[in-house]
Amino acid sequence: MRTGMVVLGGGIGRRIGRPVPKQFLLLGGKPIIIHVLEKVRAIAEIEDVVVTCPASHLEATQQLIENHRLGSRFRCVVGGGTRQESTYLGLEALGDGIDLAIIHEAVRPLVSTDDFRRLIETPDENVIYGIPIPFTVLKGHDHVEGLLERDELVNVQLPQKFDRARLLEAHRAARADGVEFTEDASLFFKYTGEPVRILPGSDVNIKITVPTDTVIAEAIYADLIGRRTR
Amino acid sequence: MGKVCVITGASQGIGRAAAIEMSKREDVDVVVLIARSADGLAGTVSAMGDRAKIHQLPYDLSDLDGIPSLVEDICREHGGIDLLLNVAGYADPRSLLDTTADNLVQTFTINVFAMLILIREMARFSDGRPAKILNVASTAGITPRPGWVAYAASKAAVVSLSATLAEELAGSGIKIYTISPGRTATELRRKLAPDEDPTSIMQPEQVARVIRTLLSDDELTLDGQNIIVRQQL
Repeated sequence: MRTGMVVLGGGIGRRIGRPVPKQFLLLGGKPIIIHVLEKVRAIAEIEDVVVTCPASHLEATQQLIENHRLGSRFRCVVGGGTRQESTYLGLEALGDGIDLAIIHEAVRPLVSTDDFRRLIETPDENVIYGIPIPFTVLKGHDHVEGLLERDELVNVQLPQKFDRARLLEAHRAARADGVEFTEDASLFFKYTGEPVRILPGSDVNIKITVPTDTVIAEAIYADLIGRRTR
Repeated sequence: MGKVCVITGASQGIGRAAAIEMSKREDVDVVVLIARSADGLAGTVSAMGDRAKIHQLPYDLSDLDGIPSLVEDICREHGGIDLLLNVAGYADPRSLLDTTADNLVQTFTINVFAMLILIREMARFSDGRPAKILNVASTAGITPRPGWVAYAASKAAVVSLSATLAEELAGSGIKIYTISPGRTATELRRKLAPDEDPTSIMQPEQVARVIRTLLSDDELTLDGQNIIVRQQL
């Protein structure tokens, strides 16, 4: 089975509150997206890497790939208007012979090379990472409307691995229905009903969404590379 | 497979002494010597012995545009760089009112800009290969030196850029070391202090032994710091 990868770098990043898309913000002096791509570079089994990005940042992303000498496996395509659309376009852009697709987000820079390797080495075709939810969650907006059992829930993380053809079919079905999902395990499960294996994820593999996340990520990164000062 | 060691400023002084010292290391197979002076490089080679393969590269580091292809050529020929010693230095001491723009630019070009570009290109071609870089700053970069404004400021920049890059490259497998030698009997020192008796101060060989220690595989804790190297009298 041949493996490819879609790296979602398509968001403009409005929620982070800064003019630069968050995948270009620096973490430990290096663009966030490069933290991800450098780890992928180390894994030869990932034969084709498609980075989706906004049209306005296509050139900048290509330049980063060139500056960091990531090699010919890495290429950029323009993403879509939504995360789901970007994933779909990335999946379509992968090379013809790619059977398994790993999906990752550019804004999860603290992913490890081992996280990718474990996905590849797990024999199941559809595999995600998940971690327990350590806090209480309830249904509701202004008022409590219902209870949820956190023991039955999982905090879904990326990267994830799927049978590429089946995931594309699921995407097409979701597009036909006009339904948007926030990640692909939900979409895949909804439209295929096929089993999706959950591997234990990592507390450090956080997603950078709001400004506080960058502060947390800097602290985690400093710890990971042995530069913690306290 | 032995290590590839690249040394700038290898035609004299600390660079030459470091080349001789590094060529004695059993784990270094290739020593690439860079300096403007081909004659100076030849003098270094004649003092190095024949254990390691020596590659002489006469090159003027003030040509910043040529540095990327210089590094690429080295990496292509030798498979990469394991140890980079940025020793090349320039000094033309002048008082503030006598300092020219050319003096400032030339000093910073050799002492700072060329060093930065060499490091950038090495990092670009490292492909995750573990490596060590050693930058030679100076005690002039951390204490006032009236009359040496360009040189002292450039060495302060070396201390700063080294500390910054040690952090930035910390996760890449590349360690950055900085040494700030005090008074050392080199040609450059003769420009800065022409009346000084060179036999009364630290010798380049003493600094080279410190460099060899820092660049050994056993040394894993002193990167990212500005290490003062002084002869205690």
